[in-house]
Order: sequence, then C-alpha cells, then structure tokens
Amino acid sequence: MNRRANVINRVVLTVLGLLLLTAGGLGLAVSVGALGESRADNSVLPQEVSTFPDGHPWFWWAVTGALLLIAVLALLWLLTQLKTSRTTRLDLTTNARDGYTTLHASALTDAVEDEALGITGVTNVSANVHEHRGQHLFLRVGLAESADIDEVRTRLENEVVTHLREGVTDPRFPVTIELRPGGSKTPQRSLT
Amino acid sequence: MTATNWVTRVVSALLALALLLGSLLAVVEIVAAALGRDHVLVPYPRWTDWLRTHSWNDRIVEALLGGLVVLGLLLLLLALHRGKPASLALRSRTDGVDVTASRRSLQKSLAAAAARTTGVTGASASVGRRSARVDARTVSRSEPGIREEVESAVRGRLDSLGTKRRMRTRVALTTKDTR
Repeated sequence: MNRRANVINRVVLTVLGLLLLTAGGLGLAVSVGALGESRADNSVLPQEVSTFPDGHPWFWWAVTGALLLIAVLALLWLLTQLKTSRTTRLDLTTNARDGYTTLHASALTDAVEDEALGITGVTNVSANVHEHRGQHLFLRVGLAESADIDEVRTRLENEVVTHLREGVTDPRFPVTIELRPGGSKTPQRSLT
Repeated sequence: MTATNWVTRVVSALLALALLLGSLLAVVEIVAAALGRDHVLVPYPRWTDWLRTHSWNDRIVEALLGGLVVLGLLLLLLALHRGKPASLALRSRTDGVDVTASRRSLQKSLAAAAARTTGVTGASASVGRRSARVDARTVSRSEPGIREEVESAVRGRLDSLGTKRRMRTRVALTTKDTR
C-alpha cells in the first residue's frame, strides 16, 4: 500500500537497467569491432587508463565522493522498502497559536470498523490511516456473497464516511474503500 | 500489493543492499590503499591484472558483457511490467471517496455467481484490467442457453459493483463427463 515506494523502485530499476544495458551494449559493440577493428584487440584496462590516477591526485577523492553519494542513495532506497505510509496520529490542529490537537488513529479506525461491521452483508472490516500527500483513511470491507453491494456502498458512504468526517472535522477528508466481495455465503458476525 | 510489486520490492531491497555494501567496501579499499596497506577484502590487484591481460574480444569478456545486457533487460522488464492490478476502480458517488474492488475477491465472487447458475457444477474466474474470464464446468454441454445464463450472472455481478471501466466478459464452458 506504499505507492511512493513502488514508483521509486520502478524509476531506479529503469535507470539501473538502462545503465547496465548501455554499458553491456557498448562493450559488446567494442568487442565485435563495431567501434573500430583495432579496439577489439585492445586490453579491457589499457595502460594509460590504469596509470591515469597516478598523475591526478584528485581522482581517488572524486571516486570516494561518488561512492559515498551512491552509498547514501542506496541507503535511502533501502529505507524506502521498509517504510510504511501508515500513521498512528491525526493532526487536527486548526490554529497552532491555540494549541495542538492530535487524535490517535486507532480511536478513529476502531469507531469506523465498528460502524461498518454493523452494516448487513459486511463480514469483516479493517481501517488504517495513511500519510501520503496528506492523510487519508483506507477502509477494507469484506462482503458476504449474499450482500447487497449497492446498499452496502450507500451506507458506507452516507453514514460511515459522513460520521468519520464529522469526527475529524474535515468534510473533505479523503477515504479509499476497498470492497472485497466473494467472502462467506452468510455474514459471520453475530448480532448481539 | 500485487505479486509484481512484491518481486520488485524484494529485488530493489537486494540491489540497494548490494550497492550500499559495494560502495562502502570500495571506499574502505581506497582508504586502505591511501594508507599504504594491502587490500582488505577485495583482491583488486588480481582483478586489475585480469582486466589488463584480457582484450575486449575474449570470450569470457563477451560473456560478461552479455550478462550485463541480460541483467539490464531483466531490470527494465521488472520496472516496466505492470502485472494484474490489485484492485479495480469502481464508479465514484461521493466527493473524496474512492471505491475499489479487490481483484482476487472479485474473481471469487464472479466464480461463485457463475457456479450458482443451474447446470453449472463449478467455476473459476480470472480478472484483468479490462476483462473477466470465467471457466464454468457443466454437466451437459447441450443444455441450451447455459452460456448466456452464466454470462448474465457474471455481468450482473460486475454491474452491481459498478466498475469504472466497462469490462469485457468471456465465458468458457467445459463439460464434465458423468458417464
């Protein structure tokens, strides 16, 4: 559920893929003599290249800098894989001068889950608050095979979402609902 | 998260780790060399000797370059492959509320809808971005109108969800020989 990580992965893999493809392709072009017959017989590491750093003391400093930059970027890339967009707090502060108001996300998600579970045809619910370009609620709703999907949607959007938005005092609080039809034939939750 | 995204995530984590460790190791070797010490972990003097003594048209060099090309292509394939979606967007009714249906559960639901049709003993469904395919097993192929009934049941289920993009439905019938 971390779209940002997926986008970053695709971009970085594309860049690395293109780099490897270009390096390998150019090397093969040299080896088959496409860039000059004589070059194909040359050593992969010619003398003038291997002795280049001897006369240029800055060379290894530059290489070290580049390697450290790669290490930092690789670390950031690695951390992206471990990050989750879920958040545990909601900032409800309207004016920082009057103080800060935060709400535990679990208080909100528990209330949303309880209300959604009360809808006929809903078998299970899980709600999470995510932080990506602002906060939004992700609601996963399991539906019984016999559920009236239209009715469930209407109640989710007109009741559950409305109450949620009242709770966070934001009439436009973004919500994503994922319906999961094809669950059990009858609702598993017993009404008490 | 889709299977493609999981594979991409694992490959990315491994590559990131390899790049991190590789670059730090290279820095350690550079510092060790600057201090006049022998190599620490990477036997780079042997590697440079190997590179000096091999030409571009050596078989082993060509094989390594071919390997680079293949690896690059695989990474590009992984980066650009979209795979099946984890969920399908449904028509929105309320401002600020996005509604989706999980693809896997939709498959189960379509299979169940098809299996409820009279004459169908079992069904499985596969849902893509634009189409849904249902394989239904019937007792008798000759039963008239069974394909239309299955198609209607599947279409009805999709309509009740209200997918944002109209999906094509395909029904394949296989007859279970009961003799």
